[in-house]
Amino acid sequence: MKQLKIISLVVVLMIAAVIIVGRSITATDERTSVEDDPNKFISENGAYNTATNVLDKKNIIDKNKSNNYYKNRAYQGAPPTIPHEVYESNMGDNSCLQCHQNGGYVDKFKAFAPIVPHPEMINCKQCHVAVKVNTVFKASNWESMNNIPQFSNKALPTSPPVIPHQLENNDDCLSCHAGSGLMKIRVTHPERTNCKQCHVLKVNEIKDVGEFVRIPKMIN
Amino acid sequence: MFSQKVDRRVFVKKMATSAAIVAAVSMFPGIIFADEQTQNIPKGDLDWKKAPCRFCGVGCGLLIGISKGKAVAVKGDPKSEVNKGLACVKGYHSVMALYGKDRLTKPLVKKNGVFVETSMKEALDLVASKMQETIKNHGKDAVSIYGSGQWSIADGYIASKLFKGCIGTNNIEANARLCMASAVTGFYTSFGADEPMGCYEDIDYANAYVLWGNNMAEMHPVLFSRMLDQKAKRKAKIIDFATRTTRTSLAADKSILFQPQTDLAVANAICYEIIKNNWVNKNFVAKHCKFNKGKINIGYGLTDDFKFKDEPEKIDFTEYKKFLEDYTPEKVARYSGVSAKDIKYMASIYGDPNMKVVSFWCMGPNQHTRGTWMNNLIYNIHLLTGKISTPGNSPFSLTGQPSACGTAREVGTFTHRLPSGFVNKKEVREFTAKIWGVPVENIPENPTHHTVSMFRALDRGEIKFMWIQVTNPMVTMPNLKRYRNGAEKEGRFIVVSDVYPTPTTDVADVILPSAMWIEKSGLFGNSERRTQHWDKMVNPPGEAMDDGMQLLEVANRLGYGKYFPYSKENYVEEIYNEYTKHHAGEKHGMVPIEVLKKESGMLWPYVKGKPTKWRYNSKYDPACKQEGFHFYGNEDGKAIIWQRPYEPAPEVPDAEYPFWLNTGRVVEHWHSGSMTRRISVLHKAMPNSYVEINPEEAKEMGIKNKDKVKLTTRRGSIVMIASVNERGIPTKGQVFVPFFDEHFLINELTLDSYCPISAEPDYKKCAVKVEKV
Repeated sequence: MKQLKIISLVVVLMIAAVIIVGRSITATDERTSVEDDPNKFISENGAYNTATNVLDKKNIIDKNKSNNYYKNRAYQGAPPTIPHEVYESNMGDNSCLQCHQNGGYVDKFKAFAPIVPHPEMINCKQCHVAVKVNTVFKASNWESMNNIPQFSNKALPTSPPVIPHQLENNDDCLSCHAGSGLMKIRVTHPERTNCKQCHVLKVNEIKDVGEFVRIPKMIN
Repeated sequence: MFSQKVDRRVFVKKMATSAAIVAAVSMFPGIIFADEQTQNIPKGDLDWKKAPCRFCGVGCGLLIGISKGKAVAVKGDPKSEVNKGLACVKGYHSVMALYGKDRLTKPLVKKNGVFVETSMKEALDLVASKMQETIKNHGKDAVSIYGSGQWSIADGYIASKLFKGCIGTNNIEANARLCMASAVTGFYTSFGADEPMGCYEDIDYANAYVLWGNNMAEMHPVLFSRMLDQKAKRKAKIIDFATRTTRTSLAADKSILFQPQTDLAVANAICYEIIKNNWVNKNFVAKHCKFNKGKINIGYGLTDDFKFKDEPEKIDFTEYKKFLEDYTPEKVARYSGVSAKDIKYMASIYGDPNMKVVSFWCMGPNQHTRGTWMNNLIYNIHLLTGKISTPGNSPFSLTGQPSACGTAREVGTFTHRLPSGFVNKKEVREFTAKIWGVPVENIPENPTHHTVSMFRALDRGEIKFMWIQVTNPMVTMPNLKRYRNGAEKEGRFIVVSDVYPTPTTDVADVILPSAMWIEKSGLFGNSERRTQHWDKMVNPPGEAMDDGMQLLEVANRLGYGKYFPYSKENYVEEIYNEYTKHHAGEKHGMVPIEVLKKESGMLWPYVKGKPTKWRYNSKYDPACKQEGFHFYGNEDGKAIIWQRPYEPAPEVPDAEYPFWLNTGRVVEHWHSGSMTRRISVLHKAMPNSYVEINPEEAKEMGIKNKDKVKLTTRRGSIVMIASVNERGIPTKGQVFVPFFDEHFLINELTLDSYCPISAEPDYKKCAVKVEKV
């Protein structure tokens, strides 16, 4: 009887094993439990990503005041063009990120490399293109909306300023506001990385829903 | 690769500082009152509105920043399921294409060889009277319209209804014929219904992506970034199967190079390996597939009188298996340039039952004299392994234009099509005529000309009048000289609607200034069956009028006004509502306009308020009438595995013309560059085209980077700049030239051979001589 039990148990286990293995082989139509991350490209995703890399560089002071931030963009928020020579056949992780992941002084260009706020995106030249000529194909009436954001955007003399620009793909604040960033916008406290705790977004695209009016509760 | 290193000390320090800040904030709560903060900031007046991107077939959702009646900024729409907030360099700078100084703002009429400005009313009167005159003197089939996959749905719908339903000619074609006709015939021959079964979400589930002659890093960059993201996150593999080493190859896990045209043989060799190694999903094949063969030695369409009709013949699995014996990896390795090992590797990716595989392709297999066959062969691989119509398993044909699917394919702006089916079917004509409200006798039964044939007929003089909208054929037609000469011949009348002067407006008799993209309302449909709507955001310059309205104005002048009872203010929406009737039902139900206005695009078939992500799979597709899979495009519900052999290209390199000439695109420019070259950022990054030469061969010929090189084919020659070891590296025996540059019209050199089934030309293969000058 005991033997029979053991045998039947073994048989059951074997059948189960066959079913499981068989299923796993034929289960090509099944949906795998892939983590779907719809927020991948959404603005605040990388808020804490490279901050640590920047922390060590907080003391770098870029003596070279000429900053290309505004010059290299077609409008505020546009992906900047590449102001230096690049090899055509390189991809992001084997070339661009060598300098732009952590920044620092690059002797070759006598400049501080800006830190990329989204180092996980390695098809850099999808958005950033080099400037090869300075001519145009045909003249344009395009007027750049590069109105430089206000710097005096504090409510009180001591209150933290609000963020006067968009954040898309620019989610790592310290990539611009510390290290090699423009002097004017360099933050005094790069070690605090939860920026949006104190600095809130001032964006124009948020729809104003109007003033909140409390409807007085009728009391019988 | 990016990696994040947080050492413990930094972490503790960070925790401590944030704790301190939290404490500080709790003591002084006033410092984070947002409202007070924002009070004294000048109020910006940027108004963000959604629109699909104007350029490629990916169909990214964009948000356009409007200020004082002008488009001033762009960002990716985070709500769009296509791009999730990211765009590419063309998308980000797309609005700059509206503001070129040489924008066409007034109609121009050619008088004694000189363009003279006129009013829109007079120009449209002239177009209508010329059409009437041509029809009277030469018949209905002497007038034609050539549009594009950049027509919005309403534009294409009006064109089709006017030409087929009112005038009564099937002389309507679109440049999409040059772009994805082989994809369409591939879908029809294999599945009996057009467009992909899967959607972009497949990227998020697949373990491997096999790219067939598709440089996605440059041509579909946003989808490529989604793949790179999955590669980083889940170690999904990218296999680049191509004739050139490109940015895509650099980012891929494996780059496999092949000799032009041998993709046919390699695809068959993959099927051979799948069968040999017992990787066939027998259950799936037995239940859902059947086997066919068609004609062989089918020709190349090089002569004007070329005609072809395939005759499918049923075969069985044994016969198919026997046919594949000519395609063992070892045999194919001899002429494909791909090692037997690499062929087996590709087969093992498809064959591994635990791998979910997406195949992507675009112009490589489509612009191919055996384009339909190539599409069939890729489907064969997915059908044999049963890797289809499930999340992550997807043979995915990509398109190149923003509404190649939405307008050209779904509205059916081709000679042989109507919105709901083929024009030669009586019931389709009757159904269409009823919705159009036109007499059914108006719609002629027989298709006339596909694109190449239409331009040949213009050259011969059978077509006298051609209206060209939203496309630039005088840059993009293969064997261009013949068709430009044809258009310039005495007795031809060419009307061109465009936004900038182009080589095509040069040959026009009337140039109509068009409103573009966000200067009008519209709808596009992208590669994954996603329809997207946008509202008019800015006014077009001068007298520029949108293409659909130009057609409506002419329809009125021709006396067909009663068939177009739409209001001037809201005709796009009214037409869409009429159009959706053609597709009503579970198989192709279009998304209601109210939904499209609210959402950043939505997939069809849209059934009971839900988009269908995976067609032909009963789990996701309500149109399936049986459990599991149901390929309802074919009457018996089965998909077809086609026996298609390798056949050589019509013109192969020889002693006199020893190289293959391949043409294509670059990330900065879109098509013929008439828009993107006017965007300074893009022009400065890619000012002119060039010829890529394999570095070893360049050295042999003494050609250095940036040297001048003369290219000669049997059709013409051109001198351009060499590119050696730059962006792309062609295989030995091949050169590559981007086609965007109107200063170097590479299509004067290309061959107008085409796939006999789809009539799509092959821009990727002809023989060329390369000389240093």
